[in-house]
Amino acid sequence: MARTYSKPNIESTKPKPYYDTRTRQLFESREAYEEYQRQKNIEAFEKIYGKVKAVDNVSFNVNKGEIFGFLGPNGAGKTTTIKSILDLININSGQIKINNLEISKQGKEAKKKIGYLPEKVAFYDNLTALQNLYFYAEIRNASKEECKKLIDDLGLSEAINKKVGKFSKGMIQRLGMARAILGNPSVIILDEPSGGLDPRGVVLIRDKIREMKDKGSTIFVSSHILSEIQEICDRVGIIDRGKLVAKDSVSTLSTKLDLKPKISIELEAINDSIIKSIKGVKGVDKLDIKDKTLEVACEPKTKSKVIVAIEKAGGNIVNLKTKEPSLEEVFMRYTGGGK
Amino acid sequence: MILNPSLIIAKKEIMDNIRNKWIIILSIIFALLTVVVSYFGSIYTEGWQDLGTTIAGMMSLVQFLVPIIALVLGYGAIISEIERGSMSALLSQPTSRLEIILGKFIGLGAIISITILVGFGFGGIIIALNVSNTNYVDYLIFILSTILIGLVFLSLAIFFSTLFKKRSTAMGGAIFLWFFFNMILPIIFAGILFMSISFSELLDGTIPEWYQYLTLINPLSVYSNLNSIALNLNFGQAVSISYPSMFSGELMAGILFLWIIVLIFLSIWRFNNKDV
Repeated sequence: MARTYSKPNIESTKPKPYYDTRTRQLFESREAYEEYQRQKNIEAFEKIYGKVKAVDNVSFNVNKGEIFGFLGPNGAGKTTTIKSILDLININSGQIKINNLEISKQGKEAKKKIGYLPEKVAFYDNLTALQNLYFYAEIRNASKEECKKLIDDLGLSEAINKKVGKFSKGMIQRLGMARAILGNPSVIILDEPSGGLDPRGVVLIRDKIREMKDKGSTIFVSSHILSEIQEICDRVGIIDRGKLVAKDSVSTLSTKLDLKPKISIELEAINDSIIKSIKGVKGVDKLDIKDKTLEVACEPKTKSKVIVAIEKAGGNIVNLKTKEPSLEEVFMRYTGGGK
Repeated sequence: MILNPSLIIAKKEIMDNIRNKWIIILSIIFALLTVVVSYFGSIYTEGWQDLGTTIAGMMSLVQFLVPIIALVLGYGAIISEIERGSMSALLSQPTSRLEIILGKFIGLGAIISITILVGFGFGGIIIALNVSNTNYVDYLIFILSTILIGLVFLSLAIFFSTLFKKRSTAMGGAIFLWFFFNMILPIIFAGILFMSISFSELLDGTIPEWYQYLTLINPLSVYSNLNSIALNLNFGQAVSISYPSMFSGELMAGILFLWIIVLIFLSIWRFNNKDV
């Protein structure tokens, strides 16, 4: 007996996009929006100074255990956002939750699990490194042994009994990092963690950030050093003129912006026929020439066609490298060059 | 042992001030002041005066010195930490703004109390060793009332520290307060009194009750009244002042306590609404 099949209704299974008018965000579906609502910990909030909206409807979620990079040009609202998250400043609207605790109402409870490294790190100059750290340890109910261990871990053991007033900027930054991770907080907020550090200090802090992530901490990092952010962060958020203009992984943002990877091809010699041949390959977006090196922006699948084209034109390839789109390119595109 | 964050902050304030030698310097100043006033303070007799006479001689000096010390200690309590950047780190800890204000008040208040107690106490012991008939209770009341006026001005300074956006403005405000309560307000009061009563009434020592109530606005007048009533001092004045029947040492102490409570409450309210 012949069976009859009805044509599947594709339209009905495809989720409809959902637009949140309040935050002006587009979601794949209503379900995606609702899931976001359940998980997010920073709901559209605003901070207004006089007539200026320093932070305008910023809304995002930092997933448990991830390193989230927070970027933006100077004066974009990064520090204001961080200060709002910590309830250092009163926001004009919205709410901020950390570990499901609303910071403006349950701040004391929420802060038991938060570590913070401010952009401008300061301590009490008349007290020693250990006395300073132990002061915060007492408030957090952490031990003196932990303070000593952290001071040692951050390479300050020789200065443990030295007054902080005599510390260099780099030493203060390291001690600030020790304070931020004191008591194993589950959420760590770092505002320019590499500020004032020498290269060794930068590596030390970066290793500490990774170590804390491995221990299960959620880390929120604001930095101007984009290479550092790209190296350590799972996702990034970009703020510009008080508005959150992007949030996702660097690769996803690159795809969204249609940024192509670049192939860097070093040749024995470059001639016009090679250049003409590459330009003739379909899918090549951009071609830059630096001495004997060609930089070709194209889809990964076009890479082999470019190589064939070079060889057909008589070019001899000496070296070949593929470069993924950098965070710098993503940042520049989203912020209009940071201007 | 788990301490309340206020006590931890207070302990840190005391440590910080021990380290910068404030406590030692102030104690020495108070002790020297007591001894010098006792030995050279009287124009009628030479040498050591008893504690009662010393207190009367010290009253005006205390009214100048203790407020300025309290204001200097307290004007930067909040604003200095905000300007330096340490306040944002402190506020990111599991502690409330109320606890920070209370911690600062307890810590700095302890420094003022210890310096007055040690300085005046040490000076008092030297005097007691050199004179007979020492009234220790009166001297203790004087010390406690001096601590109280110190705490009033400390609360004022902490309030100013939460009020302004810059440390320099808070310092200017503290200096103005000192002038206001020590100079400007007494001159205004005196002006009102001269306009209200005749010269002969003034010579008789007839001061209207309403005027005496008006002076209660100034905590320094309250402090003066407190010692005058509780210790029965007349500060060497030709005519003794008769106070309204309602006035008592307890009432004066209560007014000073009220100043502290109101100012600390205002400081907490202001700090809660302040962006750091």
